[in-house]
Amino acid sequence: MSPDRPGGADVAERLADRLAPLRASFDLSFMEPPRPAGDSGAHLLAIRSGGRPYALWVADTAGLFTDRPVTALPGPLPALLGVATFRGAVVPVYELAAVLGHPTGGVPRWLVLVAGTPALALAFDALDGHLRLPPEAVVRYGEDTSSHQWMNGMARLPGRTLGVVDLAAVRASIHTMTAHLEGSRRR
Amino acid sequence: MTHFRQWTFGRKIGAGFAAMVGLFLIGGAIAIYALDTVRSSKDKVIDDGVRRAVAVEQLRVSSSEMAVNSRGYLLTGSEQMLTQVRQAATALTGQLSTLRAEARSRPAELALLDNIDKARVDYQTSLDRMIALRRAGTPVERVGRAFEADTLPRRETLNGQISALRDQLSQQLATDRAESTARANAAATSVFVVVLLVTACGIALGMALTRVLGRQIGGVVGHIQSSSAELEAVAGQQASGAREQSTAMNEITTTTNELSITSRQIVETAQRVSRTAEQTADAARTGDATIDQTRTSIAAIRRQVDLIVQHMLELGEKSQQIGVIVDLVSELAEQTNILAINATIEASGAGEWGRRFSVVADEIRKLADRTAGSAKEIRALVEDVRGAVNTTVMATETGAKAVDSGSQRFDEVTEAFGRISNLVVTTSDAAREIELSTRQQSTAVEQTNAAVADTARVTQESEVSSTQTRQTAAQLTNLAGELLRLVSTKAGG
Repeated sequence: MSPDRPGGADVAERLADRLAPLRASFDLSFMEPPRPAGDSGAHLLAIRSGGRPYALWVADTAGLFTDRPVTALPGPLPALLGVATFRGAVVPVYELAAVLGHPTGGVPRWLVLVAGTPALALAFDALDGHLRLPPEAVVRYGEDTSSHQWMNGMARLPGRTLGVVDLAAVRASIHTMTAHLEGSRRR
Repeated sequence: MTHFRQWTFGRKIGAGFAAMVGLFLIGGAIAIYALDTVRSSKDKVIDDGVRRAVAVEQLRVSSSEMAVNSRGYLLTGSEQMLTQVRQAATALTGQLSTLRAEARSRPAELALLDNIDKARVDYQTSLDRMIALRRAGTPVERVGRAFEADTLPRRETLNGQISALRDQLSQQLATDRAESTARANAAATSVFVVVLLVTACGIALGMALTRVLGRQIGGVVGHIQSSSAELEAVAGQQASGAREQSTAMNEITTTTNELSITSRQIVETAQRVSRTAEQTADAARTGDATIDQTRTSIAAIRRQVDLIVQHMLELGEKSQQIGVIVDLVSELAEQTNILAINATIEASGAGEWGRRFSVVADEIRKLADRTAGSAKEIRALVEDVRGAVNTTVMATETGAKAVDSGSQRFDEVTEAFGRISNLVVTTSDAAREIELSTRQQSTAVEQTNAAVADTARVTQESEVSSTQTRQTAAQLTNLAGELLRLVSTKAGG
């Protein structure tokens, strides 16, 4: 690992080669003129839940968090992990894989706040990254599409395709579960 | 005689000869006795005859002397003549007495002697008268005539009587000789009979002895023949055995020669071993210093290895600290990425300014992604370093253990080296002993070789002797056959 060794010299040279484009790209980002509206493409979060890859519309989220303490609550819903505090508000946290009907395992580390009210947080296993895709790489399903229960789009990536989770549908499903539960309690 | 069969041939033959000698002695004694008897008889006859013939002749001589001397006296009157006459008369008387004494057993001779004595007395008486006449001085002529007339006839008578006695003696002598001859013939006949008896006994004894000896000799010769055949066979076997023994002796000689050569080679090898052992002992003594230096070097290696392990452990700790820092950087990058995403989320609802902020947030996110990627690479590199350090530490610890084990082994090697040194000394001593023993063995082998050569020579001589013995046995067999044939022929004849 000493610099005078041939392998070490190669690694240092390769890192130096990589550093120059990074620096140029970083500087170039401040030199480019502002891009016109509507040219920003689609922003997606690539996640992994229940062992399956999915994508989330960034516009459908209100925040991304990690390693937040979740206080468990007793209750009949297996998807409900508990409650957590976000920006001073107590928000229920549901496990996305459980909501989607997939088997769960372990404690999800990542949390995402779903846009809209009431506040809702979904927990998933891992964040693969933030995607900024051109419009032609993204497909949005129509409103009347009922064949895709939890999906409202599709993102094409090099070598693979991710289904985009319809967070509104997820919220509605959770509401349906809780309403049904409340209805059964009232009865 | 009960043990006659057990007598030896010599004894039997001696007994036979003794019997024959006894018989011949008896026969000889009888013959000698007979001869002595014959000789005595003859001698007696001859002696008696001669003595009496001489006496008769002396009678005649004395008578003549008396006559002569008396005539001389009558002629000469010499007293000497007269003395001689008387001496002759005395001698005549004595001779008659002698003849009478010898003729006691013969009456005829006694009668004749009596006649002679009577004639002598007459003659003496006549002669005395003549003498007295001569003394009386009677003339010689007268005396002569008286002498012729008286004395001379008496003298003639006396001579006649003497002649008759002589004739009688001659007859008696012839008779005695005839008797003696008859006794000699009887003795010869007796001797002849005895000789015949002895000869017959000798023949009978010889035949019996020949039969007995022939029978026994035949049996013995038969045994000798069979024994000779067996001896011939044994000699043949002995000759073949001697040849085999000679061949074996040659092989033994060859083997002992090879053994001698091998012994000399062993001696040379033992000398080389001894020299090598001495050189090894010198090298072992030189190696002790080398061993001490090596032990010091191993201890230094052990300390250096401990130092390397310590440095490696420090390097591992540093790598772990780097890993912690990288984790921190990685976590910072992740949080930066989260912040950028949240900024993007926030910017997405903030219009144009939010869009610009989104661009910045996007760059921040890219930077965070690159930082995370670099942190991941650093982590990988740190993991590699830690892995290499762990591997190095393990290898170094293994090396340290190997050094410890090597040190222990080296101690064992040192101890073994010491034992080897001692054993080399022992080996040197043993090599000298082997050399000495092998020299003694070589000497013994050479002596053995000489003894084997002598034995081989003796064996060859024994083979020659066995061959000769076989030939002699064959000849003895033939001779025994011949002898058996002769004995059988004699026995059968």
